[in-house]
Amino acid sequence: MARIVVITSGKGGVGKTTTSAALATGLAMEGHRTAVIDFDVGLRNLDLIMGCERRVVYDFVNVINGDANLRQALIKDKRTENLFILPASQTRDKDALTEEGVEKVLDELSQEFDYIICDSPAGIERGALMAAYFADAAIVVTNPEVSSVRDSDRMLGILSSKTRVAERGEGPLPAKLLLTRYSPERVEKGEMLSVDDVTEILSIEMLGVIPESQSVLNASNAGMPVILDAESDAGQAYRDAVARFLGEDRPHRFLTTQKKGLFGRLFKG
Amino acid sequence: MNAHPSPIQPIELKGRMILVSILRLHDADTDQLNEALDARMREAPELMRDMPLLVDVEHLANTPAETLTQVIEAIRGRGFKLIGLQQGAVAQSVASGIGLPLIVLGGKGTEVPLRAAPSPQAEPANEPSPSVHKESASAVQALHTASLVVNQPVRSGQQVYARGGDLIVLGTVSAGAELLSDGHIHVYGTLRGKALAGVRGMTGARIFCRRLDAELVSIAGHYRIAEDILDAERGENRLVTLAGETIVISEI
Repeated sequence: MARIVVITSGKGGVGKTTTSAALATGLAMEGHRTAVIDFDVGLRNLDLIMGCERRVVYDFVNVINGDANLRQALIKDKRTENLFILPASQTRDKDALTEEGVEKVLDELSQEFDYIICDSPAGIERGALMAAYFADAAIVVTNPEVSSVRDSDRMLGILSSKTRVAERGEGPLPAKLLLTRYSPERVEKGEMLSVDDVTEILSIEMLGVIPESQSVLNASNAGMPVILDAESDAGQAYRDAVARFLGEDRPHRFLTTQKKGLFGRLFKG
Repeated sequence: MNAHPSPIQPIELKGRMILVSILRLHDADTDQLNEALDARMREAPELMRDMPLLVDVEHLANTPAETLTQVIEAIRGRGFKLIGLQQGAVAQSVASGIGLPLIVLGGKGTEVPLRAAPSPQAEPANEPSPSVHKESASAVQALHTASLVVNQPVRSGQQVYARGGDLIVLGTVSAGAELLSDGHIHVYGTLRGKALAGVRGMTGARIFCRRLDAELVSIAGHYRIAEDILDAERGENRLVTLAGETIVISEI
């Protein structure tokens, strides 16, 4: 049986899709058979980030409606072994996601895969609820600013009641936090919430802190999950997060400003 | 002509928020209704007797005025103190006949189900739940009122109501979350949301918190919003009490 993980946030534009792509790729790189599903029906993005937009034939809604089977709709990633993408439909809306339909697709995927990553749309409406409902675990993506933190808090409340795990009385859905677009310089200037602030407000375990980085934008534009960019700090931070997700104990990096040494200053000067 | 002008006005009109219990009537015959009312009264006579109630008759829109009057009298006869009818389904003339004002209510989103399980994160397993107490003998109830213990953070958008007792929250209460209690409220994390203690009029109710940074604190209908809470009053180990008509925040 696969482990179903929802990547969610409440607020839009915080990095859910970037994180879904990175996490799914990271898990596949570790040898786990992984499927990543775009639940953002009508605003399809995951295929762009994964660089497979030109190979989309059938989508998630086609499979739910029985127009195509899973085998036809799943796109095999060209860069990473063990990784498959199920794109969203661009021409439909979120009402096409029926509970029975989503459950059927997830059940079928569960037979074959180790991990199913559900890339949730923003908001707390049907699309987001459907992405989270069948999950076994959640990763809540947050930016270090007050409105994003507030929305994540709301989403955590929803995860603790409106998921299958919660409705079965097995307690709230286990959730961890991923802080993205973190800039230690701006935290020092007092322009941004710190890791400690966010952890304190949300009272939840931190899975990873991804630094603000040009490499994320570059990777998105190139249609390549940023985790494949081993040189970049964001890519490395995502690798740490994947390792922690798989149970490894790694210290958090990129939390403080890079202090230039004497030589650094002399040569850079 | 005022012979003795006085600086003190004989009357004063003030506004204050109250939490009101709404009795919603569903379309049923009179016998069924009476039976349900009796059952509810038996369950918790202390709580129900003299309870101020607003009656929602939306579902009885097609009931003739005569029957409606009978129904209202039956409710009154059981000791409930009716304060009004919800506006919408009844004509003004009918309401006048019954002797109740028509009252407009806010959105249904703000309603708290008074008997449903408090909130998903409440854990009745460790503590006797309020409903258990309601069903027990009234003698026992007098010895110990039910407290509601919440073991997890109360998140933005969540609402927890401890009916007939105290509310104890072990975690943090986020901005946008709401705590309601008939008795005291204890928060062992940071209180960033709203906390309303003594919502049914207990003026001696207090709010205790490990750290106060609230959006609103209220005791027995008197309240202070975030803007009226000074920076100096925010901080660790705070106690909120009601002195006369003033909300006082002090250090424990």
